[in-house]
Amino acid sequence: MHKRLKTKFLGVELESPLVLPAGVMGMSFSGMDIARINGAGIITSKSLTLQPRTGHKGPVIAEFEGGILNCMGLCNPGISNGLLEVNEFKKRSRTPVIVSVFATNTEDFLMLAKEVNNSRGDFLELNLSCPNVFDEFGIPLAASKDEVFKIVKAVKESSRLPVIAKLSPNVYNIVEIALAAQKAGADALCLINTVGPGMAIDAKMVKPVLFNKFGGLSGPCIKPIALKLIYQTHSAVDIPILGMGGVTYGIDAVEMLMAGATTIGVGTAVYYRGIEVFEKINNEIIEFLDENGYETVEDILKLEKLKL
Amino acid sequence: MNKRSTIKIARIIDEAEDIKSFVFAHDLTAKPGQFIMLTDFEGGEKPFSIADCTSNEFMITVKRIGEFTTRLFQKQVGDYVSVRGPFGSSFFVSDGNVLLVGGGYGTPPLYFLAKELLQNGAKVTVVNGAKSKEDLVFCNKFRELGVEYQNITQLGCLGREGTSVDLAEKAMEKQKFDHVYAAGPEMMMKALQPLLKDLEYEFLFERYMKCAIGICGNCTIDPIGIRLCVEGPVLPKKLVEQLTEFGKYHRDATGKRIEF
Ligand SMILES: Cc1cc2nc3c(=O)[nH]c(=O)nc-3n(C[C@H](O)[C@H](O)[C@H](O)COP(=O)(O)OP(=O)(O)OC[C@H]3O[C@@H](n4cnc5c(N)ncnc54)[C@H](O)[C@@H]3O)c2cc1C
Ligand SMILES: Cc1cc2nc3c(=O)[nH]c(=O)nc-3n(C[C@H](O)[C@H](O)[C@H](O)COP(=O)(O)O)c2cc1C
Ligand code: FES
Repeated sequence: MHKRLKTKFLGVELESPLVLPAGVMGMSFSGMDIARINGAGIITSKSLTLQPRTGHKGPVIAEFEGGILNCMGLCNPGISNGLLEVNEFKKRSRTPVIVSVFATNTEDFLMLAKEVNNSRGDFLELNLSCPNVFDEFGIPLAASKDEVFKIVKAVKESSRLPVIAKLSPNVYNIVEIALAAQKAGADALCLINTVGPGMAIDAKMVKPVLFNKFGGLSGPCIKPIALKLIYQTHSAVDIPILGMGGVTYGIDAVEMLMAGATTIGVGTAVYYRGIEVFEKINNEIIEFLDENGYETVEDILKLEKLKL
Repeated sequence: MNKRSTIKIARIIDEAEDIKSFVFAHDLTAKPGQFIMLTDFEGGEKPFSIADCTSNEFMITVKRIGEFTTRLFQKQVGDYVSVRGPFGSSFFVSDGNVLLVGGGYGTPPLYFLAKELLQNGAKVTVVNGAKSKEDLVFCNKFRELGVEYQNITQLGCLGREGTSVDLAEKAMEKQKFDHVYAAGPEMMMKALQPLLKDLEYEFLFERYMKCAIGICGNCTIDPIGIRLCVEGPVLPKKLVEQLTEFGKYHRDATGKRIEF
């Protein structure tokens, strides 16, 4: 891997600042491994729940000009099967793994955290922000600073691993929620999850395209929202931010670093540019460094961030 | 961008007891081995192999097994369905002496392949197997193409008892093939594989698919992380040989491993 891309996240050395985000390819050890081989510096598992979930009926994907809508509905093999895949991945590689978990209350999050404690995972990410299970679970926890505080605090007390809180972009005041997570002890923040949700209609059938009617937006169209929220949050908190949302090319990743992220998720772009997207973006970041007189990615991280 | 097309069913053909073909007047521009995702927006979007495709029509052949396919069987000519695709890899269209091995409702994509192979000047032999006579599809279609064709059932209803792998073995004893293509139950391909040590081959795999655009990860196959909706469903010998999950397990809708 390229020395110039090396960086650190919560004290852990990374070969690249690029992250495979939750829900993309992270279902099986081999899906995680293929992202690593192609240049991802951190791998995130699919969000795991206590019990296996089949997720929503299809169609679960609707594509449009600016990105995609998805309503996978948190399909996952359940925490114990999911951790088997994580452990198998870690047997083959030292690349750090973020184990993402989803629950709707503190007790369940604590049970999940306990399982993750006994795994080979490196970080625990709390998905507080899935927008696709509204009918089942109601408003995402990340909509309430009190809920975020309560859950992060409880998990933090029992988790052996550093805790990352994944926040929702679909809130009025991201800073207030980010501060609540920080105050509760979160080691890092992940933002953003998918935007919306939104809707697509099939005019010939007179029906919503997604069987779940609504789905979270991801891809290029959400990058401006991600940049804004990461920028605002970075200005207010002291903990690192795993930034994501629409990153498709090297320049997008650089912009997101400048907005205040320390690592960058690349999800939907796996569709647009293939699983090789990580290697492509790694190379494009190096080109940017060359063209603009930077030696390493760390130089960008050290830049005095944008000022209001 | 993969466009979604909402199109009318142009024709419905009864192929066998629980097997129907659906023809659409739509230019799909697909290659043999590729598949589409089909939905009626009433719950479920499912993968189906392309059984035939010309510049103005394409066809899929469906076996009724569950909720979605049962609903599809109730559709009439003129009803709308919605289609995404074509997705995935396709068969290499050779011009040599080739053998096509089909099993059950897995056989139809080999029909599309056979047509392309013939056009390319290949010499085509097809062996087709199924549990019983009622499950055997496309016998007449293959015969009409003028390929060398044999079929067999496990129950012996046609006088011969056995599988398409048995027929393939006999065919390979008689002549030397340049390339073997197989589509059907995974255990059929697993049984066929040891016979193909010295031959080039391609297998068409079926795994649980959701997004079909290579991001959800449900269809990856261990240990090499091949996504069957992007790098598959057709895999060449050099990839098949690396698969540890081939014939052992697959993943259900939750992503959990299920043993065969
Ligand atoms: C690449 C590919 C090509 C296929 N081509 C054909 C074809 O040409 N003709 C045909 O009849 N069938 C084909 N299938 C299988 C077809 O998708 C299933 O038969 C169909 O989805 C069953 O749906 P159901 O609701 O009727 O049955 P269910 O009761 O929901 O499921 C029965 C079985 O069908 C399979 N299945 C269900 N959903 C999916 C899914 N989303 N992805 C993959 N498998 C699933 C599983 O093995 C399941 O156990 C193909 C599958 C794949 C992956
Ligand atoms: C198909 C799909 C599934 C996703 N599943 C999850 C999930 O299980 N947990 C989660 O926290 N985020 C999930 N996400 C959100 C992504 O992790 C990411 O936050 C979002 O897609 C924005 O990044 P992108 O534009 O690079 O895709 C999913 C996104 C997509 C497209
Ligand atoms: S079906 Fe989603 S990756 Fe293949």
